[in-house]
Amino acid sequence: MPLISIRHITKRYPGVTALDDVSFDLLPGECHAVVGENGAGKSTLMKILSGVIPDYDGEIHIDGQAARFQGTRDAEAAGIGIIHQELNLVEQLSAAANIFLGREKHGRLGFLHEREMEDAAGKLLAQLECHVSPRAKVGTLRVGDQQLIEIAKALSLDAEVLIMDEPTSALTETEVARLYRVIGKLRERGVTIVYISHKLDEVFRLANRITILRDGRFVKTLDRAATNAGELTQLMVGREIASVDLGGERCAADEVLRMENLSLPWPGHARAWRLKNISFHLKRGEILGFAGLMGAGRTELLECLFGASADRPQGNILLEGRAVQFHTPAAAKQAGMALVTEDRKRLGLFARMNVGHNITMCSLPEATTTGILSRPRERQMAEGSVAQLGVKTAGIRAAITSLSGGNQQKAIIGRWLLARPKVLLLDDPTRGVDVGAKAELYQLIDRLCRDGLGVIVTSSELPELLTLCDRILVLCEGRLTGEFSRAEATEERIMHAATLRE
Amino acid sequence: MRQFRNEFGLILAIIAVIAVTMFANPSYLQKPVDNAHEILRQTSLLGIFALGAAIVIISGGIDLSAGSVIAFSGSICAQTFYLLAPEGVRGIPDTGDLSLGVFAAGIGAALAVGFLIGTLHTWLITIVGLPPFVATLASLVGLRSLAKVLNQEITRSLGNQSTKLNVDDPAFIELGRTWWIPLVIFLVLGALAWLLMNRTVVGRHLYAMGGNEQAARLSGIRTDRLKWLAYCLGAMTAAIAGVLYTAEVGIADPVTQGRGYELNAIAASVVGGCSLQGGVGLIPGVMLGVLFLRVVIDSVAKVVGSGSDDYEGLIVGFLVVLAVTFNELRSMRELVQKSFFPGMLGWITVPTLAVLIGTVTLVMGGRNVGLSAGIAALGILGAVKIWEETRGK
Repeated sequence: MPLISIRHITKRYPGVTALDDVSFDLLPGECHAVVGENGAGKSTLMKILSGVIPDYDGEIHIDGQAARFQGTRDAEAAGIGIIHQELNLVEQLSAAANIFLGREKHGRLGFLHEREMEDAAGKLLAQLECHVSPRAKVGTLRVGDQQLIEIAKALSLDAEVLIMDEPTSALTETEVARLYRVIGKLRERGVTIVYISHKLDEVFRLANRITILRDGRFVKTLDRAATNAGELTQLMVGREIASVDLGGERCAADEVLRMENLSLPWPGHARAWRLKNISFHLKRGEILGFAGLMGAGRTELLECLFGASADRPQGNILLEGRAVQFHTPAAAKQAGMALVTEDRKRLGLFARMNVGHNITMCSLPEATTTGILSRPRERQMAEGSVAQLGVKTAGIRAAITSLSGGNQQKAIIGRWLLARPKVLLLDDPTRGVDVGAKAELYQLIDRLCRDGLGVIVTSSELPELLTLCDRILVLCEGRLTGEFSRAEATEERIMHAATLRE
Repeated sequence: MRQFRNEFGLILAIIAVIAVTMFANPSYLQKPVDNAHEILRQTSLLGIFALGAAIVIISGGIDLSAGSVIAFSGSICAQTFYLLAPEGVRGIPDTGDLSLGVFAAGIGAALAVGFLIGTLHTWLITIVGLPPFVATLASLVGLRSLAKVLNQEITRSLGNQSTKLNVDDPAFIELGRTWWIPLVIFLVLGALAWLLMNRTVVGRHLYAMGGNEQAARLSGIRTDRLKWLAYCLGAMTAAIAGVLYTAEVGIADPVTQGRGYELNAIAASVVGGCSLQGGVGLIPGVMLGVLFLRVVIDSVAKVVGSGSDDYEGLIVGFLVVLAVTFNELRSMRELVQKSFFPGMLGWITVPTLAVLIGTVTLVMGGRNVGLSAGIAALGILGAVKIWEETRGK
């Protein structure tokens, strides 16, 4: 009898279906890996399972009984703990205080039993081979130790099921080895592990059974013994999306951008370099794609090209043959770069402004006469942009938040086109955009490229890059691990390069 | 017209308050011109630096230093007069008849100091990385004390050490006492602020930065420069007000001048429709917000018949809570559906509010009025609490 049954779980966000009728079982005591590409719905499913997302369609059965969690407390009470990819600790508090956060041991008058909690925390941590003082402030500890504190917290809750979301993404090798040993010990104690990852070597090492999700749908559950990496890769990437035929070869002209030995330091991290020795070039009228798993450094690369990285990158950038250095986005924009950010809501939109004001934001000086904004001129620019890109809006005075994701994205692309850039950087431009609008965006990007713009695009969806790009470069852990021309590129080859670890 | 809803509301509220005051107190009908002049003069003095405060708030920051900048710049102006004025009897500078050059130097010095204070704030915020609250709070505490010490330093050599500086020039005093001079300055500055915020690139960028600073930076907007502008406008408008407040009484007195005024300016901005989260607010709204605040303060003073500004703090506090509450509520439905007195917090809040209402009405209208108002409030709020309790089940 399954410990947990996931039955017909569906989760829709405006414009996107994150999970579509997913059903599978978790057996008691097993280590069950859930794999899939970015955006496959793994994290959403785990958030539902751990009570982070309370509104969804479908049912979860625990020990045969239907359960519906309104919050993480409910899930904890039912014995389900989760270790998020982004750890959930209070850095200013001690390890012991974090483990017992919200469930502090205290006496009748409310005084904390610090010693008792520290002893209990010390014991838990020792079991996990974590040799830090329970009194140490969490913020001063290494990521690997912080993670073990989260695990200790889940253990102190008597979790029967422990969900780990990409737990090794920020760990050093010795820390990974220790984590594997900890997982082994947990399984000896009968804890069921749900292990989310896209690293196939880890999955084959740890899991008894493997469930594959793709585009929010359940694909298959396989026994480890009955499958191999090749099959898994194919099941993970072999999706169909609304494909668009963008016509014949584009003709790339002269080189517009060249990057030589770009490195971006990563202070305080075991890997030391966010990006290491990356060189490439981009021609006018060419679309260059960057593929890579989450954390491979795609967004960081574009940020370096736009003067928006937190740390100063090393290496040379040549724009139209001249060496340039961008310390601020303002300087990059001045030189002819444009960046459409990945996180539209946080880094792109001005939610309080209307569509027109959002579109003209980067080219306002052109709408002025003697320093004063000319309303007719600004309206003309915004309306021209809306017409050119086919933004579906009630008008340029409509609130930007009233538009769908795809149309918001078009408005932001329009914002940058008005600034007449030489190079357009698009960071995962179809994220949160529905299928129909995706096709329109592909056609738009293709048209811009044919008009002579150099375009760099990243995407978490390989078919998107295969549709759009003339060349695809692959990043893995901050290094360039593959380059494919349009003719050479296949999903399997790219996935292989994207998982080539050192 | 939806976008000017707040402004229309304020105009109606101002008219309503004036109408009520007219019936309750004969002063408005007997001396309409004098009253109008006084209200307009007070409105203008507050409005001048409320404009600066509003621009800082719209750009996503906060400037708590205005009150002390008023005191400091007023003192700087008077100090400049002392240093440049011809020597009079007993070696004390004679500020009774200042030349035009000295006059201009004093005002120029105050403005320059405003610019430098704004620059310092910007440096603390953008380079050192302090939150705007902390950076301007340091000025709020520090500048007043510095002005006091500077005044003592200057007067010590003259033989009568004092924290105050007298300025006797009648033309200077006229600057603060003539009703239309602050008004003209206020209206001109208001028009310039409106032009800046609504019709220039810089203004649009200030709104953008206030609404989403990260997105603004990633749109190639130089946010550090915008902050420099905003904080300088904040401090320089306060400096202008500082000169006028000093002129009004002919004394630069950093111990008392401008005390607490920063909160009046922030309150006027909020009542005028600015959101403390930034990115929202219109200059005409802020100007009406200032007028509304002053009209209410004057009205209460007239009706209660006390000293003009005794209830100022109480009124400002009350109006800010009211304005922000209404800004936060998205619809009238939410007002009805919301539980205002949940659980134990509610059981304590209801009698607290009743006592507060009773106390306020008691000091304004006497013991019987206060007692009955307090009991009525307890009854009404208690009924609301009980209704909310039963609705919950």
